[in-house]
Amino acid sequence: MGRWKRLPMHAAVVGLALLGVAARVGGATAASRSVAPAGGVTVELVEQGVPLEKQWPTHPGPAAESYEETAFGFFHEPWRYISTGVREDRPSPHLFRAKARVTLPAGSFRVLLRARGPARLTVDGQPVVDLPVPPERTDGHNPIRHDFLELGPETRYRAAGDHEAVADHQSTGAPREWVLETLVGGRAGKEPLRPELGETLVAVAAKGSDRFHLLSPARRVPLTDPGWEAYRAEREAHYRRVEAGRRAVARLASADYWAMRHTAARDWVKQHPAPLPPPAGPATHPIDRFLEAQLKPTVRNAASGASPSLATPFDREIRPLLKARCLNCHASTASGGLRLDSAAAARKGGASGRPAIAPGHPEASTLIARVAGTSAEHRMPPGPNPLTPAEIARLTEWIRRGATWTDDPVVAVRPSPLIDDPGFLRRVTLDLTGTVPTLTEARAFLADRRPDRRARLIDRLLDDPRWADPWVAYWQDLLAENPNLVNSTLNNTGPFRWWLYESFLDRKPLDLMVTELIRMEGSRFGGGPAGFGLAAMNDAPLVAKANILGTALLATEMKCARCHDAPYHASKQSDLFNLAAMLARAPVAVPITSSVPSAKLGGRTPRIKVTLQPGEKVPPHWSLESLARNEFPNRWLAQPDDTRDRLAALITAPWNERFAEVMVNRVWRRYMGRGLVEPLHDWENARPSHPTLLKWLAREFVGSGYDLRHLSRLILTSRAYQRQSRTNPEANRLFAAPPRRRLSAEQVVDSSFDAFGRKFDVEPLCIDLDGARPPINGLNFGKPRRAWEFVYSSNERDRPSLTLPRNEAVTELLLAFGWTGSRQDAQADRRVEPMAIQPALLANGTVSRWLTRLSDDSRLTALCLQNRPIELLVEDLFLGILTRKPTDEERRAVISVLKPGYATRVNAVAAAVPARKPQPYVAWSNHLDPEATDIRIREAAEARQGPPPTRRLTPAWRERMEDVLWTLLNLPERVYVP
Amino acid sequence: MSPDRRSRREILHDGAGLTGAAALLPAVAASASAADPQTSTPLGKARHCIFLWLGGGMAQIDTFDPKPKGDPKLKKPGCYYDTIPTAVPGVSVSEHLERTARVMDRVTAVRTVFHGTVDEHATAVHYVHTGRAISETIRYPSIGGIVAHERGSGSPTTPPYVVIGYPNASRDPGFLGAGSGYLYVTRTDAGPAGFVRHEDVTGDRQARREQLLAQLRRRATADPDVKQYDDVLAQSLRLAGPEFTRLFNLNEESSSVRQAYGGEFGQRCLLARRLVESGVSFVEVSHNLNFINGTGWDTHNEGQLNQHRLIRELDSALSALILDLEKRGSLDRTLIVIGTEFGRPAAFDAGGGRGHHAKCFSLVLAGGGLRHRGAWGETDVLAQKALTPGVSVPDFHATLLAALGIDPGKTLYDGARPVPITDGGRPIRELFPKL
Repeated sequence: MGRWKRLPMHAAVVGLALLGVAARVGGATAASRSVAPAGGVTVELVEQGVPLEKQWPTHPGPAAESYEETAFGFFHEPWRYISTGVREDRPSPHLFRAKARVTLPAGSFRVLLRARGPARLTVDGQPVVDLPVPPERTDGHNPIRHDFLELGPETRYRAAGDHEAVADHQSTGAPREWVLETLVGGRAGKEPLRPELGETLVAVAAKGSDRFHLLSPARRVPLTDPGWEAYRAEREAHYRRVEAGRRAVARLASADYWAMRHTAARDWVKQHPAPLPPPAGPATHPIDRFLEAQLKPTVRNAASGASPSLATPFDREIRPLLKARCLNCHASTASGGLRLDSAAAARKGGASGRPAIAPGHPEASTLIARVAGTSAEHRMPPGPNPLTPAEIARLTEWIRRGATWTDDPVVAVRPSPLIDDPGFLRRVTLDLTGTVPTLTEARAFLADRRPDRRARLIDRLLDDPRWADPWVAYWQDLLAENPNLVNSTLNNTGPFRWWLYESFLDRKPLDLMVTELIRMEGSRFGGGPAGFGLAAMNDAPLVAKANILGTALLATEMKCARCHDAPYHASKQSDLFNLAAMLARAPVAVPITSSVPSAKLGGRTPRIKVTLQPGEKVPPHWSLESLARNEFPNRWLAQPDDTRDRLAALITAPWNERFAEVMVNRVWRRYMGRGLVEPLHDWENARPSHPTLLKWLAREFVGSGYDLRHLSRLILTSRAYQRQSRTNPEANRLFAAPPRRRLSAEQVVDSSFDAFGRKFDVEPLCIDLDGARPPINGLNFGKPRRAWEFVYSSNERDRPSLTLPRNEAVTELLLAFGWTGSRQDAQADRRVEPMAIQPALLANGTVSRWLTRLSDDSRLTALCLQNRPIELLVEDLFLGILTRKPTDEERRAVISVLKPGYATRVNAVAAAVPARKPQPYVAWSNHLDPEATDIRIREAAEARQGPPPTRRLTPAWRERMEDVLWTLLNLPERVYVP
Repeated sequence: MSPDRRSRREILHDGAGLTGAAALLPAVAASASAADPQTSTPLGKARHCIFLWLGGGMAQIDTFDPKPKGDPKLKKPGCYYDTIPTAVPGVSVSEHLERTARVMDRVTAVRTVFHGTVDEHATAVHYVHTGRAISETIRYPSIGGIVAHERGSGSPTTPPYVVIGYPNASRDPGFLGAGSGYLYVTRTDAGPAGFVRHEDVTGDRQARREQLLAQLRRRATADPDVKQYDDVLAQSLRLAGPEFTRLFNLNEESSSVRQAYGGEFGQRCLLARRLVESGVSFVEVSHNLNFINGTGWDTHNEGQLNQHRLIRELDSALSALILDLEKRGSLDRTLIVIGTEFGRPAAFDAGGGRGHHAKCFSLVLAGGGLRHRGAWGETDVLAQKALTPGVSVPDFHATLLAALGIDPGKTLYDGARPVPITDGGRPIRELFPKL
């Protein structure tokens, strides 16, 4: 550790020596040839001629890229985008150079240089200070670093993983050319390291002063914690704009192609018009016309005074029983030649030639004989759970009474009335942004009396950038996005969440997004769709991907085909491997695990067949012709041999209606709580409840150019979406009332943090903070902004030093509410059953403390400090947290808690200034130092403590208010969509 | 939902369901085993399992399968320590397992466990917990999740499955669902996440909170779905009360008992004993204290130097647990297992430590009503190769399940997909009392 402390004192001398050499042979002289522009800082990224070892290039190539900055403070290089706008990695290492003409007043200065990698700073070609990087171990045995420079009471400390040095500088008052160079990234063996800048910066302070500012020709950014944080926030917003622009430019290159595709889609829709909605009754919205047509008979019944007929016994008891226990094998796959999904087929029977169901004659019905059988060999359904005597009795009685089989159940259901404005606001905001409305949003909407206020709100939210967040979470599950903090194992993928996010942020047409997904281009570990192609430790990753694409895009379930032909599905092993080979652009070998030893096929006639042999090579081929025909114009493919492009084109071709219908059904389910087809991911034995509506919506979607927002607007503006929810299977099936939906885990977390006025105060989601390991051994997810950005801190080594305590406080809550932390497989549906751990964590967990603590940085503290009657405070609490007004009883109850001490609650003191202290960091490289464990244990205790309480409120009243907040946090209504 | 698909957790807060569904389980198991000659192993009578997890990979040659000494300086492969005899004639262990050696007749070190999983921790951790390779078509449950699913909890106020350690995907209940998942405790002085009130929330404040909550949540009960959540809210408030949380208060134990168990790992074992006695079916206890020797059980390089301190901590905790359970008459009902992701080779690495070795290593069983024999299986002079038939991880799981009275030939269901409870595992019959 001593060598670190000594380093800065010698830095200037060492720098002179090193740069004296370097300046003659390369970098610095090359850099000083071009003149930096007045007023700005020019950044150049040099990729050619940079040695792979951490060494200065002797002959650096030309700048591959150049852009403008405003000050010498760098933490991010804007992403590079390729193809239609997907992220691509820059080479690692590469040279980062920043230069500017800066005029410092005449006098003596101290110059601070910080960087992640080796760095050097020159003025008019003369070295000022440099940072060599000593060789380090990356196996965990480095010491915890304590070598922080003390640069004044307010100066920001060096960030984790960075290095720093100061030197003296004499200014004559004349403008000078300042050049900073640093090597970004590097190599660990052959593997490129993540190219990260840390907090690379140059700051100066006049001699005698300890106020450092970032070096800049035109602005003053104080190098204090608040100064840097404000600067960083500003630059992050700037980079987001820059990157959006880069993506737009990339996409422009193929704009003609996609315009051609979307014109073809529109033309096809014109030639194949959708079924028209039934003539308008009271409803005018097409969706409501489709839906209400199926409710009509009932309405008539009710009007004529007839008692509303409930569903027939068949609908109530028999159909669900057949579906749950028989149709897995006795529908499309017709096991034993028998189908039980229509009356005619059931009467005909199977291979035995005798009727499965003989109406009026249970004794002649083989169905009854088989389910009531006593021999385990013969009994149906096979397995340890035969039908119960009551179920058998029900079937028998139904057959005895004539086995009435209704194809379209007619049910008397009255549609629910429309939900009130506050409920609608909360529901639609949760659905479109993943969180609850802010107090300001709630006030504005509830004051709006215009008749079209709901449509206006929908339009506003569809334009809101938060629109992307819930869709990212949805597709993470659907596509099994499964990146890991440390070593890539257990089916880990790249973090393609960032590609998903940018796709939804850009409102990418869904056919384009799916094409990018299937092309799997760009960065594998930096957030490009190439990350989807990975499945660590999986012996057939592209088979895994083919499977995921099948359920996600085509609602065809092929997972059984990984090892054998599916007993419950028509898909064969070859279908799945053919598809995988299309993704591989080459034949795929069947791995040894993709088989079932015959001994395991069981005693009965095996229900499964192994049709491919391990080692067999399966060629690329599209065999699922029943789902999509392999037909489209030649001009749709730039390279006719590219089977990935072919796959993308045939899936998204408008005449292959399956994709559009599957997507429409997914969107419908997200907003309506139930699909038009269930289950969403497997349509083989499913039929749509409203086939014409499904078709109509799919045409609308295709005709709009695969625009999710158009589709969303259609659904959300319908009366069906806007009805009061109630859980009732019949009403839900007919969309006469949406079912009550529980918030997703991400919604629980995001809406809680938003409503209680807090941002995530968690560690950067990264174990390899100093960037010492290649991405396959360590990813950096940065500081999360929304719940979908969290990662499961899967700590297989059980080492306290490898924990991220604040991250875990949030992920334990996410996990309790059904978040799929480790997405080893694609998630069809999450479980939403209530469990005690859910309210328990909201009541006593670490996050509960954060949310209910009135600290200086809580937005709710500011609300409490406002000088106004207590009633208004209570109104705002309810509106901000629950999006509704309190009832009189609730108002009285809350006021009775808050009244004592309310008048004198404010202490006339200023908000406390957070103590600035150096933060020794723990990373993979030093986690075996015993101090690493101590640090993590201390951090866990601090996380549990929560932020310090404000001193601006009297402790007694603050506690009362915190108790009220705790109560509101724990209300069951908060975890349900209205 | 049919009774067999109900999660244990649901049954837990439904008294009627508990007796009904729990009563069904042994009957189903018995009938299935009678039908299948392959699994005619008599089912054991243990009710609980304490699964000690030695994360990183315990070196079998330095612990339960000692061999002639080697020397890291001379690059001579072999044991790092001296060998001592045990209570079982012919069975010896390393000198740092001195106390365990005295009770080795209640223990069986299964010395020929193997798996073919690659040389990587997370993958091997997953394999030893689930007995299955990773799959993209299903999420296999951990052995703890399976036991939780099959056994439920012995009491309506305790969970079926507790982890004393950190959450990770390999401990998850997989397709069995969150109802077979675990509560977790990261430190014995911390209590279970979610059920311990913050220190500054006094009894008065909690009363104020709950009183206001009672007034405000009345709205919830009007809606049947929200009502369900309201019910578990009421349950969680009860669990956060003293009856459940006092289980985690080790101060209720006498100081002599606490001292016998030793340091933090021993205290975890003591906590595990309290938990199983209150009805928890499966407790996984992580021995994750990497500050003792720097690396925990992953003894590469310098990690080897202080490995003996880790082994001694295991020794005192394990022997104390065995003797304490025996004294309390519950050793036969409680199966103790030592799990680890793989073993280590006899040769030393450049830093004097050891790499990974999964082809043959030791896992350990104790108590649980088994016929113990000190050790099962023989290995070569380097403890790296089995000389008697190897025991696969599925076989080891089958032994564990059978000891707990769970039919290892049974089939679980992921929706409609039948999934054998182990991947063809067969119990080590010789460890069960003769028919």
